[in-house]
Amino acid sequence: MALNAACRSSVLKWISSPKLNWKAGAPLASTVGKQSERGYAVDPTKTLEKTSLLHAEEKEVVVTVKEIEDLSPTTGVPEEHVKTRLVKIYSPSKNPMQSGTHNTGHWQMEFDTRERWENPLMGWCSTGDPLSNMSLKFADKEDAIFFCEKNGWRWYIEAPKTKAPKVKSYAHNFAWNKRTRTSTK
Amino acid sequence: MLRLPFSRGLPCVRVVWSAAVRGTASNPAPEKIEVFVDDKSVLVDPGTTVLQAAAMVGVEIPRFCYHERLSVAGNCRMCLVEVEKSPKPVAACAMPVMKGWRIKTNSEMTRRAREGVMEFLLVNHPLDCPICDQGGECDLQDQSMAFGSDRSRFTDIHHSGKRAVEDKDIGPLVKTIMTRCIHCTRCIRFASEVAGVDDLGTTGRGSDMQVGTYIEKMFLSELSGNIIDLCPVGALTSKPYSFTARPWETRKTESIDVLDAVGSNIIVSTRTGEVLRILPRLNEDINEEWLADKARFAYDGLKRQRLMTPMMRNKDGELVVVDWEDALIATASALSHAQPDEIAGIAGGLVDAEALVALKDLLNRLGSENLVTETIFPMEGSGTDFRTNYLANSTIAGIEEADLVLLVGTNPRFEAPLYNSRIRKSYLHNEQNVALLGPKINLTYDYEHLGDSASDLKKLVDGSHPFSAKLKAAKRPLIVLGSQQLARSDGAAILSHVQQLAKKLSSSAEPDWKILNVLHSNASQVAALDLGYKAGTAEIRQKPLKVVYLLGADEGTISPNDLASGGVVIYQGHHGDVGASMADIVLPGAAYTEKQGTYVNTEGRAQQTLVAVTPPGLAREDWKIIRALSELAGYKLPYDTLFEIRDRLDDIAPHLTRHGEVEEASFLDQSVELSKNIASSFDSSPIDVKQKHLEDFFMTDAISRASPTMAKCVQAVLKQKQSKYYEGEV
Repeated sequence: MALNAACRSSVLKWISSPKLNWKAGAPLASTVGKQSERGYAVDPTKTLEKTSLLHAEEKEVVVTVKEIEDLSPTTGVPEEHVKTRLVKIYSPSKNPMQSGTHNTGHWQMEFDTRERWENPLMGWCSTGDPLSNMSLKFADKEDAIFFCEKNGWRWYIEAPKTKAPKVKSYAHNFAWNKRTRTSTK
Repeated sequence: MLRLPFSRGLPCVRVVWSAAVRGTASNPAPEKIEVFVDDKSVLVDPGTTVLQAAAMVGVEIPRFCYHERLSVAGNCRMCLVEVEKSPKPVAACAMPVMKGWRIKTNSEMTRRAREGVMEFLLVNHPLDCPICDQGGECDLQDQSMAFGSDRSRFTDIHHSGKRAVEDKDIGPLVKTIMTRCIHCTRCIRFASEVAGVDDLGTTGRGSDMQVGTYIEKMFLSELSGNIIDLCPVGALTSKPYSFTARPWETRKTESIDVLDAVGSNIIVSTRTGEVLRILPRLNEDINEEWLADKARFAYDGLKRQRLMTPMMRNKDGELVVVDWEDALIATASALSHAQPDEIAGIAGGLVDAEALVALKDLLNRLGSENLVTETIFPMEGSGTDFRTNYLANSTIAGIEEADLVLLVGTNPRFEAPLYNSRIRKSYLHNEQNVALLGPKINLTYDYEHLGDSASDLKKLVDGSHPFSAKLKAAKRPLIVLGSQQLARSDGAAILSHVQQLAKKLSSSAEPDWKILNVLHSNASQVAALDLGYKAGTAEIRQKPLKVVYLLGADEGTISPNDLASGGVVIYQGHHGDVGASMADIVLPGAAYTEKQGTYVNTEGRAQQTLVAVTPPGLAREDWKIIRALSELAGYKLPYDTLFEIRDRLDDIAPHLTRHGEVEEASFLDQSVELSKNIASSFDSSPIDVKQKHLEDFFMTDAISRASPTMAKCVQAVLKQKQSKYYEGEV
């Protein structure tokens, strides 16, 4: 996938930036699972603060993580739900019933649909899928891809369909020589 | 009044309908003008409206009547904004910007104007949001919250009540509650501009104004469901969906429609494993934001006539329920007891590429090459070897760039309504001309009728037809050949003549302009031909068949009589239709809302459906059934997951996994050379199309034939035709 390659390179660029340098002795395991708004599992700034307090007297050693770390063994997500799930990364389309464009323009990840059924007790919707309601929002698709790769999920991108601008003119309704002339209202 | 020159077609740049082209008088790019929206500077083309300029800097101006795909009406006044130094607020949707304007979308004057408009709208709007189907996705609701006043001056001290309007009956699809209407006229403009059925209008003035059909009649359009989406309030809602769900309780799955060959993008709304409704999803290249009625309303067919469990025919000739194990073992033993050439696979019109490739791989491993589709395509000449021969090469969006369209033996209005709405759009806005060779039908736009004789194609090719001069003069001509004509006995001759005509016109047309288009009638044909299926069952019917594997084949192109004695018919599919009724073994598959499958539309664009609900009962995804069967038959297929079968698709034809992209084809010259030896004798029978009238549109495949809503539509159209007010237009 060409897109995949392009995204990967940007992810790698992000990785190699100094933001993700951890100090030695950073409690790595405890940071796993903390998710900042942008979807990274590790918030580098917070980690730095904590370590500098804890190990103020220790000599600083910088460890650079070179590739995307697979966090799936430590996240607690069952292996079945790491290996067999497919994530769709997409930018949701506008609600066709309304004019407004709110709740669009961001990127979102969603898992493939597993079985849901009507619960006989209340008539509500039940599912046996723990990831069924996990739908995360991201500012851009690279963030979403990075998050998926880190968690070991396979993903694919559905590119949004952009609109071309159109010229609108009230005058077209009354043009004497065009088919856009309207006769009824 | 601003009247813009209409310069289509800059030489060498083929951009039509973009702001840059339509706004300019001459070749050099027009000078952009600078305006300020809330003090943010934006450079726009001359002729841009205030509302569009604001949208460019991310400021959304509230509106009710304005819609991007309809003409500007300017009657709701909700988009009033202040412009500095203008004494009155201006209607943003209709007013073109002038140089240096300072537009204030959040000033005191603007807010007061909006509040006033909201107040007038709400004075006559019922307070029935709790029982209104639009609740939760209502523009009026949202905008009254955002821009309305926080208190009401409406006091009904005389208890005279609000204005009330009688509901209209416009058919079985659209429910009208006309008291809620705010007279935005979107539905009227949609009907007259996009649908081309000028039935809706207004009567009366002032507070007596009503939107309706004046005399009670059905809104006879194949696109009627779109007025439900367009309606900013709850005046027009969906009848089959009424009182079913609120938008926040449903899950939305973005998927693809497969009931015609256009591949419209849809959103499937589901709750507790049930499809509740289908809405269009914006895709500028395919369906814009419209959806045909069949695609929108046939979803109730997904709950009826379903095959839920495997079945086998017993000694008394009745289909009885069996386990998967028994059904698969019986199928495998039937397959392994037949000679390779006695086995055939027939693919129907709703099958995904994954199932197609799995069946092909299985039968090929068994030694059989008898894999065909139900729909006929001539195999003479280069046949299906070149994709150019069977694609709509100029793409659906490309129709807008054409200046002349020649339709040959097709009624796009009912075969592919959104293909037709593109032609109508270009007819209206781009001065496109249309000609039709075939029966006289109502296409919703004017066209030149060239008669219905197939032999006229010969005259068109050699240039002796009166229409040839116009074709030759066209810079971007387009020929659309209906796939039904290829099933005629002279189908090969028709195809070859259309190819030759396309080749001939390419010398007078713009370079790289694609002319030849084949408009298919079902969603799986292109993928099947891409994967190497042959088209048409005529050839395999001659063979001594022992086992026929019907993969969703429901058109009845083969019958048990075509098999040798003791033959076995296996049907795999999702509906109990023609195929299942003649089958000895029935394997229940998944419908398009229940599987992640690849479909290729008529322009060669691969797209995928997503799982919205799981298949009912014991039904399973189609390729998985064939994969399980292959193991029992002793020829295990080498894929276990969706990723692996997609890899297999990728090996055969890489475009099948590049979802959303059109894979172009360009071997017209070669296929014309190869088609020259085809006998060019034409049938004397006139060119005809199957779907001539609106009642022929609704029930065409296993899903829509099982749909009660579609059946009601057919009944309603037929009833409307009995009315004395019916004018014989569709």
